[in-house]
Amino acid sequence: MIVNRREALTGRVLLVLLMAITVVPFLSLFVTALHPSGTYPSGLSWPAQPHWGNFADAFRAAHMGELLMSSVLIVAGVVPVSLLLGTLAGFAFGHLRMPGHRVGFLIFVLGLTLPFEGIITPLYYQVRDMGLLNTRWAIILPLIGLFMPFSVLWMRAHFVTMPDDLSEAARIDGATTWQLFWRVHVPLARPALSSLAILLFLWTWNQFLLAIVLVDDPAKRTMAGALGAFQGQWGTDIPLLCAGSLLILAPTLAVFLIFQRRFVAALLQGSIKG
Amino acid sequence: MSLRSMRRPLWLALGCAGLMVAAACSAPGDSGEDGAAASTAAVATSCGSDPVTLKGYFETGFPVPKELANEFTKQFPNVKWDIREDQFAVITQNAPRVLADDPPDLMRLPQVSELVKDGLLKNLDGYAQAYGWDKWPASQLEQMRVGSNGQRGDGPLFAQGLNFSMTGVFYNKKLAAQIGMTEPPATLADLDALLQKAKDAGITPINQFNGGATGGLAFPLQNLMAAYGEPGPINDWIFQKPGATIDTPTNLQATKHLEKWIKAGYFASDINSQDYATMMSRFIGGKALFIFDGDWESGNLDKQMAGNAGFFLMPSAQPGGKRAAMSAPLTYGISAKAAHADCAAFFLNWVATNQKARDIDVSVGGSHPMGPSDAYMPPVKEGTVTAATLEAGATIGQDNGSMDFIANATGAIYAKSWTPQLQKLVAGQQTPEALLKSVQKDYESQVKG
Amino acid sequence: MPARVTGRRARRARRPGAWLGWLFVAPAAVVYAVFVLRPLGLTVQYSFYDWNGIGASTWVGLENYTRLFTEPELFATILHAFELILFFSLIPVLLALFVAATIRGIAQSRLALVARTVLFLPQVIPLVAAGIMWSWLLSSTGLANELLSAVGLGGVTRAWLGDFDTALPAVGVIGAWVLVGLCTLLLLAGMSKIDTALYESARLDGAGPVREFFAITLPSLRQEIGVCVTVTVIAALASFDVVYISTQGGPGNATMVPGLEIFYLAFSEREVGRASALAVVLVALVLAVVLPIQRLTRDGSR
Repeated sequence: MIVNRREALTGRVLLVLLMAITVVPFLSLFVTALHPSGTYPSGLSWPAQPHWGNFADAFRAAHMGELLMSSVLIVAGVVPVSLLLGTLAGFAFGHLRMPGHRVGFLIFVLGLTLPFEGIITPLYYQVRDMGLLNTRWAIILPLIGLFMPFSVLWMRAHFVTMPDDLSEAARIDGATTWQLFWRVHVPLARPALSSLAILLFLWTWNQFLLAIVLVDDPAKRTMAGALGAFQGQWGTDIPLLCAGSLLILAPTLAVFLIFQRRFVAALLQGSIKG
Repeated sequence: MSLRSMRRPLWLALGCAGLMVAAACSAPGDSGEDGAAASTAAVATSCGSDPVTLKGYFETGFPVPKELANEFTKQFPNVKWDIREDQFAVITQNAPRVLADDPPDLMRLPQVSELVKDGLLKNLDGYAQAYGWDKWPASQLEQMRVGSNGQRGDGPLFAQGLNFSMTGVFYNKKLAAQIGMTEPPATLADLDALLQKAKDAGITPINQFNGGATGGLAFPLQNLMAAYGEPGPINDWIFQKPGATIDTPTNLQATKHLEKWIKAGYFASDINSQDYATMMSRFIGGKALFIFDGDWESGNLDKQMAGNAGFFLMPSAQPGGKRAAMSAPLTYGISAKAAHADCAAFFLNWVATNQKARDIDVSVGGSHPMGPSDAYMPPVKEGTVTAATLEAGATIGQDNGSMDFIANATGAIYAKSWTPQLQKLVAGQQTPEALLKSVQKDYESQVKG
Repeated sequence: MPARVTGRRARRARRPGAWLGWLFVAPAAVVYAVFVLRPLGLTVQYSFYDWNGIGASTWVGLENYTRLFTEPELFATILHAFELILFFSLIPVLLALFVAATIRGIAQSRLALVARTVLFLPQVIPLVAAGIMWSWLLSSTGLANELLSAVGLGGVTRAWLGDFDTALPAVGVIGAWVLVGLCTLLLLAGMSKIDTALYESARLDGAGPVREFFAITLPSLRQEIGVCVTVTVIAALASFDVVYISTQGGPGNATMVPGLEIFYLAFSEREVGRASALAVVLVALVLAVVLPIQRLTRDGSR
């Protein structure tokens, strides 16, 4: 590839600049979190005495332990079920292609661009009438439904690429459709499944609207919803708010940094398919 | 790629959505009445001796309710608390659905008329009789009485106060001395002169929160309204008396006066982005001469600005004119579906009558406790803000100048009308005339609705 | 991949029990129908009623919709959403194109690998957190103003989120910050698929970076640009989290967007009917904007 030096240099400068803009808000949050609680520090000033204790205070004030547990429970409710149902349906639409599969798939695709605000009002009354308001189920069940279009689409895209010969061979060996699915296709779908799992984890963890509407108790919400409540309660104390926000960010950031390769790949594919 | 396949039979899929509608085509909502009624049922006037957990929904940033709750548990160990806190704006948004679907035993309430109309609040008349609240000065409970059409001011009692508060102008004594202010202004013209002096001296004359969903300029505005006119018509408007209007000549004068202050640069330049806490922290930090606020801050200011904070009531436009102030109970109510209504009511009565509780009301809250006029009053140190605000309460009593807050006229009037309108006034995008007309129009559609 | 699908479909023999596939779809369909399609249908239904969410409801026909288009305040929310497209969509996509084109040459360097991680950070955190960070940066004492003062622009400093003229753009900047990294990486990924021989020959023909960009890069990225635009436009029209945290729709109604207005109408003012009408319009708007984009970019790819 022919690239001259000057272009490479501008490229580097630009990239560094873009990264700086991306990182500065995080830095500002961090520096502010170290100021004495209750003050209004200005800009990016390093405090005379960093108050590391703010993190401990915020941890206690936000009941971080409970929040983490709650988010984990919600993720544990949403992700496996979404994966299973999405795979089943994706397999049918992508591989079995039964009569009417096009229309069926289309109805799922229809939900893909649906803004959550579009159904939040009836959802509230429905969840209330089911007696699930203020339980984690109020977030889990609707989220499974709302993620279903994407899950089905994602898995169908995978199964469509699987050669039919594979199934024919298994059928000749006398495999039932279920065996074909469970023994042959699911193991092969592992990469697609793990990327989908990452995306669903992230979207569940960061879900805000459902959490604030359907669950009042922050300890039963997702992390993002809990952060909303934390802001509601401690928004008046900027350093503490910043410390709490960082703590609430920490788990996703950690998971992201550990699995960054998979994450980036999944997110890129995810937006292309979504 | 994904959406690509959608191209053809879109109508088909839409048809399916249509089917879903058809399947659920009874009108939403039910017509069954619940709540509200139970006023005549027998009430228990204690919390009993079994363990009880009272579910509370309190306002963030105000320590009084929590302190009271703790003290209550100390005296009645069988009662525990499960308290959720939010900022007032959030409580306002949540009130209807929390009361209906996740009923707390005790909740900080926003404007009550619509909550009562929808049967979400417990009628407290039974308790009022049992505890003798109806023998307290009537003015204390007036704002919490609601008639069947949502009009306030009389009718059954639907809430109770933890204390009642008083609003006016707080000032920084050091800064006041710098501009030669030796005594509180006696007339509005005196106040104007002080503002100009402060501005000339390079001091921010007034800091006031007015950002986000909380238009704090409603404080100075209503004070100006009462400086130019009578509190009576303002109360009528707030209580939704038939035919009441906010668009009166004196209120227009008041709004114009506020606009004059804005144009003269008497307010901090960024008030449209300041929340309440920012205002407090800047005032405590000595960055402004005045704030318009209430005595719920007295305790706090006596601690954080000991000896340096003063308070005065808004002066009248006329020399020697009567004074008026927003004065309202710190309203708490019981959900119509509360599990422990009796115990919550017992707590409310305890707050007004227990000596320890009244001490907390004054020392932590800085506000006047509820209750009979001859009840025990905790001693207050001379020269403190708390003393000044309690004394102001007496003046307002004499002048009969107590008003509810214009933000409390309807449930949505503050967030949907006053706040955006006042923010526009600050930005020079609204005129005083149009401001009042617009608020009145919203008010009429909300009261009717 | 429709072509491949149809190709194989011809081969596929119809087996007995072909309907079995629907059994596999059933569980997903049930959840989807109960928690998405049913509420969607109900939204449409509610939109024809005047209902406060508690008592009885009254049929009002299209009144909720007419109000939507006659009350300036409600209609403004839709205009705001479109203005946000400028910031959430146009700016990130243009900026990302520029950046991606500039750094194409160093796409394999270590710096670029680090950048992949860093630029993704805003995608990973909750939007709520982005809102909190930026409210603080854009406040009157925040870093943005400090930097402006430092470079001698003290005159333009202000509370960006509290000023009628700048609040909506400021919210837009937050969205742009979240989305620009994603767009850059998407476009870079797309560029890596372009045959480098194309560039080589262009250079040999004496093409500069600009001509190269318009002749090769832009046409080849049609599909990726389509994806970026789709994702960001949906984010703009359906914005909620960032606005809820940073301005609550204020000052005045300067930053009120449909998502937030639906929330307020439904749960605070309890105008369920009007909230639902706005919701229906929002859903329709998203489809109306996204479908043409999909159509435009499809033509190029196949």
